[in-house]
Amino acid sequence: MNIVVLMKQVPDTWSERTLRAADNTLDRDAADAVMNELDEYAIEEGLRLTEAHGGEVTIVSMGPEKATESIRKALSMGADKAVHVSDEALHGSDALVTSAVLAKVLERAGFDLVILGSESTDARTGVLAAMLAERLGVPQLTFASKVDIDGSAIAIHRLADYGYDTVEGTLPAVVSVVEKINEPRYPSFKGIMAAKKKPVETLTVADLGIDPAQVGLAASATEVVEWAKRPPRAAGVVVTDDGDGGTKAAEFLASRKFI
Amino acid sequence: MDFTETDEQRALRAAVAGLARKYGYAYYTAKTRDGERQTELWQEAGKLGFIGVNLPEQYGGGGAGMYELAIVLEELAAAGCGLLMLVVSPAICGTIIARFGTAAQQQDWLPRLASGSAIMAFGITEPDAGSNSHKLTTVAERDGDTWVLSGRKIYISGVDEADAVLIVGRTTDARTGKLRPALFAVPTDAAGFSYRPLDMDVAMPEKQFLLFLDQVRLPAGALIGEQDAALMQLFAGLNPERIMAAASAVGTARFALDRAVSYARERTVWSTPIGAHQGLAHPLAQVKIELELARLMMQKAATLYDGGDDLAAGEAANMAKYAAAEAAVRAVDQAMQTLGGSGVTAEYGLAGLLANVRVTRVAPVSREMILNYVAQHSLGLPRSY
Repeated sequence: MNIVVLMKQVPDTWSERTLRAADNTLDRDAADAVMNELDEYAIEEGLRLTEAHGGEVTIVSMGPEKATESIRKALSMGADKAVHVSDEALHGSDALVTSAVLAKVLERAGFDLVILGSESTDARTGVLAAMLAERLGVPQLTFASKVDIDGSAIAIHRLADYGYDTVEGTLPAVVSVVEKINEPRYPSFKGIMAAKKKPVETLTVADLGIDPAQVGLAASATEVVEWAKRPPRAAGVVVTDDGDGGTKAAEFLASRKFI
Repeated sequence: MDFTETDEQRALRAAVAGLARKYGYAYYTAKTRDGERQTELWQEAGKLGFIGVNLPEQYGGGGAGMYELAIVLEELAAAGCGLLMLVVSPAICGTIIARFGTAAQQQDWLPRLASGSAIMAFGITEPDAGSNSHKLTTVAERDGDTWVLSGRKIYISGVDEADAVLIVGRTTDARTGKLRPALFAVPTDAAGFSYRPLDMDVAMPEKQFLLFLDQVRLPAGALIGEQDAALMQLFAGLNPERIMAAASAVGTARFALDRAVSYARERTVWSTPIGAHQGLAHPLAQVKIELELARLMMQKAATLYDGGDDLAAGEAANMAKYAAAEAAVRAVDQAMQTLGGSGVTAEYGLAGLLANVRVTRVAPVSREMILNYVAQHSLGLPRSY
């Protein structure tokens, strides 16, 4: 089985992140770059599926030069090879443009299954799986907390507020995963040493047969017009316990959909 | 000279740090409190190839060096869950067997030590000898095809979790009749071998033991390496011990400094966070400098050692161990001071760490013995003992 996992390098979720004043795009220098956390789950799922069914895991990443570090990490976890789309022209591309570029890469590489995290921690649009499935003309199975493959049939548990739905489809398909799906492995030392020798193909927009004028900030359909710093944390809710504290606590949790 | 770590070294650091975060200081203290060991962490680290990172690839190790093993321990300690037996099993015993063991001994021990499925403790200190290894009274006598070993050892770490103890004993030199050191792998279930935990006043998962060897009969293959080259073999194992002790102390210093800095950034008593006050900022900056200096010397020692220069590595390893212990003691002390009352609470866990970190000034070699070493070997001063 030929599995492609999409991986994005993002600014560290736990650090102070910001946008660039010049063009309202992500300031990649303001924080350490790390692999998007949900993509670790996507890689893990890809590795587990190939361990069970055979085949290869190819990492596809679109991002600046620096994304190489995250690609190496993906390879050290056990992925077989990688494609890195890196081109200055891509700077500022929105989800629509990104999906167009990635669809080209996927068509070029070929795939039985595309796996990606259900969203990235920076832009958090969560639309890429749907856009890719549409562009590629294959089924989308999103928010998967479990994936089962049997021949060319695929079934997932789609996470919902009330539990999960079972969604079925046929390969080739696009699957987005949530963090409930597995526990990503740590790179082993052997994996780290082996990653050094694994092939990474670097592609420009032109290599993909795309006109550079069709990508990047200027070609994007959406634009960040203005933004503001996150407001300081608001005070919490104080509940006075008049013997019904338990009920009130339960009501609060229910209102936030924790229970 | 290159002060930039390779991509692989940085990736190893990140991978170990990731694993260590999953366990952390809460895990370490819970295990200590319950009288248990950090077995899950040890096993997972072994599975990922972190424990045998320095051992030869042909025996299942990572084929890297002491630099990489020091990265593993530093990152674990920096997360508050250092594994003491890394200092002993892969660093001292694994190194000695990999460098001087017979092919049979290497085949027997290295794959298990590399995966972490077996642990080898190390026994040198004796109740009546202390730091004076010339006074060791554990003696091995040859009896046909076997060795018969008798003696006592004290402050031996982790014997209860070990499959064997690498015992430093002495044999009679056939030519001169003098006693000279020899190393024996003694299985912990050997007849005549027994051990008793020492009641220590520091809290850590690894326990300390008193060993009794009463006519322990061992096959000829239990003698590790050459009978005549044991002293050199011993030093080959003690340099890694010091490098690893330094790595552990540097990691602990980082752990304490991280806690202090994040507290000092947040805690506001008057109008600014307390970290803005120079009375707290400057001591923390000094800790940072001292810890980085110690770390640099540790990395120098590891680099020299991996480059095959045992002599130069010995001086650097001793200096690194000295400096790292001083930096760690100071880091924990200053972290406690920074946190004020919180520094004494169980939540922050710094007060308990104070006793543990103080041990690094005493073990595996005392500060005073390092100063003696530097006075004699680096400065050429006469010795008093």
